[in-house]
Amino acid sequence: MLSYIARRLLGVIPVMLVVGIFVFSLLHLAPGDPAAIIAGDNATEANVARIRASLGLDRPLLEQFGSWGWATLRGDLGVSMFSNIAVTKLVEQRIGPTVSLALTTMLVAISVAITLGILAAWKAGSLLDRAVMALAVTGFSVPVFVVGYILVYFFALQWHWLPVQGYVPLSEGLWPWLRHLVLPSIALGMAYVALIARITRASMLEVLAEDYIRTASAKGVATLPMLLRHALKNAAVPIVTVIGIGVALLMSGVVITESVFNIPGVGRLVVDAISRRDYPIIQGVMVIFAAVYVIINLAIDILYSFIDPRIRYS
Amino acid sequence: MKTSRRKVLSAGLATAALAGIGAPYITRAQQKPPRQARMVPQGDLNVLDPIWTTQNMAAYHGAMMYDTLFGIDANFRPQPQMVGRTDISTDRKTYTFELRPGLKWHDGTAVTARDCVASLRRWQAKDGAGQHLFARVTDTPVVDEKTFRIVLSEPYGLLLDALAKTSTPLCVMMKAEIAATDPNTQITKHIGSGPFRFIESEYRPGSRVVYERNADYVPRSEPASGIAGGKRVLLDKVIWDIIPDAQTAASALMAGEVDFYELPPIDILPTLTAAPGIKVEVFNKLGSVGQVRLNHLHPPFNNLSARKAAQLAINQEDIQRAAVGNPAYYRTCGSHFACDSAMGVEDGSEVLMMKAPMAQRQARARELLKESGYDGKPIVVLHATNIHVMNQTVLVVAQQLRQVGFNVQLASSDWGGVVTRRANQNAPEQGGWNVFYTFSGGNSTASPISLFAHAATGRKAWFGWPENASIEQMRTEWALASGLEARRAVAQRLNKTMMDYVHDVKTGQWVQPHAYRGDRLRGFLPIPENIPWWNVERYA
Repeated sequence: MLSYIARRLLGVIPVMLVVGIFVFSLLHLAPGDPAAIIAGDNATEANVARIRASLGLDRPLLEQFGSWGWATLRGDLGVSMFSNIAVTKLVEQRIGPTVSLALTTMLVAISVAITLGILAAWKAGSLLDRAVMALAVTGFSVPVFVVGYILVYFFALQWHWLPVQGYVPLSEGLWPWLRHLVLPSIALGMAYVALIARITRASMLEVLAEDYIRTASAKGVATLPMLLRHALKNAAVPIVTVIGIGVALLMSGVVITESVFNIPGVGRLVVDAISRRDYPIIQGVMVIFAAVYVIINLAIDILYSFIDPRIRYS
Repeated sequence: MKTSRRKVLSAGLATAALAGIGAPYITRAQQKPPRQARMVPQGDLNVLDPIWTTQNMAAYHGAMMYDTLFGIDANFRPQPQMVGRTDISTDRKTYTFELRPGLKWHDGTAVTARDCVASLRRWQAKDGAGQHLFARVTDTPVVDEKTFRIVLSEPYGLLLDALAKTSTPLCVMMKAEIAATDPNTQITKHIGSGPFRFIESEYRPGSRVVYERNADYVPRSEPASGIAGGKRVLLDKVIWDIIPDAQTAASALMAGEVDFYELPPIDILPTLTAAPGIKVEVFNKLGSVGQVRLNHLHPPFNNLSARKAAQLAINQEDIQRAAVGNPAYYRTCGSHFACDSAMGVEDGSEVLMMKAPMAQRQARARELLKESGYDGKPIVVLHATNIHVMNQTVLVVAQQLRQVGFNVQLASSDWGGVVTRRANQNAPEQGGWNVFYTFSGGNSTASPISLFAHAATGRKAWFGWPENASIEQMRTEWALASGLEARRAVAQRLNKTMMDYVHDVKTGQWVQPHAYRGDRLRGFLPIPENIPWWNVERYA
């Protein structure tokens, strides 16, 4: 197992290299000039050219890639062309809100979705099952920002229960932190509730039809232990896979949610950077996202062997 | 009366509950409102050097933490700000400035004449008006700790106006060692002498900017007017919350989470106006002026008849209706220098402002296009899709050009893509362009010198590269003219020449209302192209 993990971790390096080359090429081939944006609308071309030179953007592309790649290998993701602040520091400032949002979203999504999925499978064909599936279709179909605006309208503007926007760090108290995350987590979590609930239902339906479940039921095992201990445990592998994919997908959902609820996270950092062509931030964050993606996949693969002891890696 | 243990407990609980429920209200009633305000500005403050960049947000930041030698008052007249006394020599070629007492940097050291000279030198390298002025400056000697001079080769009537301007880049004063930074390199230390101190430790680009009252700031004794007069700070803290989503910003204002929303989209205004406690007001009466830039270097717009055809095809009313919508906030305008400004003359704008039916205008435009020899080759129109006004305007302009016979090809991208491509002087098929649209503040547009886009120096001019010696001669004549009336007379001739030559095509003028919690804040000063936070008081 250890050698498997080591090999998978080593595999991260070529992935990062490919991501690095891809992101760098894409950015520098796409139209857009950070120097022109910095200089502003009233600047002369000579001023723009001087700023371009001061940022090193007039150097050959290969040279720029070489110096960025070498610095990245040493853990230096560069400095924002605009704010002059190190990318690592900017990410450090923004990672807290993003991780908080991702965690609370997954917590809400997993707890609600698995419960609904189990209930739907248990009462397959019933009104409850149909209601859960209707909810799942709605969750998939309605965009995050629409859900967000509706939640804000009722919970913040009409009833004044929760804030419209913003983020408060956990260090300022559990409730202030949580109350700023309730609406964004629900808005972002809707799609994941739908995704996980559907998979849970399908997987549970398959397991509930197995002979050992019928045997357990005949032996008089109560419904709840039968559903949770016997059925859910054996239905867990596809559910865990979907949760893993969900965590990775969350990165894109976070970008929209952070904008709608004004959460100063990594998603907004990268969107802002793209609109003004702040290359070091875009490149740095993309490399980090890719690393997180690879690590999540690895963690899921390792988790399989704990859920299902028949799965072994050599 | 028998007192049971249960009664005592009930009474105790009831008292505690009442106290608990009432306590926050009692406390709130006793508390004074916090002396702070939260603003949602038009964009992110991602550059902290108001000289290195001409971005509006950097200018806002500059006005908060730095001070200027002079400031434009509400009547657009330059008034002394950091300067205490000004002496002008009889030949009007030497200006001697003495700083007023009590000026201190935020690190506690005194502001000196050396600091001001270094700041002037850095500013002029990046500012159009500054460059025009410094082309006539022979020396800037420091006389003593508090006094310096500007020595000119010829009298220059706009000297004080240039130092007092509100449009970006503002002529802000920095410490000499900071101002020594190359103008094309961003400063790394942020020490000003203005009414607010920038709190760098709380700065989160893309999210939050914090300013605190500068306790050492000594305001002038005159009442505040424009960016001149006494900048009395009545707030302890001003926070800029960067909220990119318009709907979220509006909701935050309605919920009272923020106090000021600088640029609410016009379509959200009715909701905000109806919300209790919110005031919607226009501070910048000159607003913004739109312009279609035609590329004078390549066919078809290197031909005057083709440019005139475009001028006839473009209908300001249709554009404004699509881009702004509410007639209360826009107007058509035949001036290159912003209507309602001191230079807002409309001489020579008969063609652009023609009231004739569109069919008649279009018929004449088709004739002109034919005269120009236009061969039907596609014209590339740069189209920024991510800025509402630009997106709407370009779609209408494209259609108007099509209607008179231009074969329009839209090159759509975000604004970042447009600013890169517009700098390309190559032919459109080699990465260049034929038409793009932009807008600028009415205040900077009002000066033939300040706005670089007015230049007509060919390949050295602003994007579009118009070349016309008469225009350049009149711009200089305007700068050297003394007195408003003399300048206005030059502006009349200049506007006519620019219209006849079709330097660019103006698409109208509009104002942008601001929305704020009128039930909490008062004292905003109507300053073009800036949001001042001095004089603003939180009263509830």
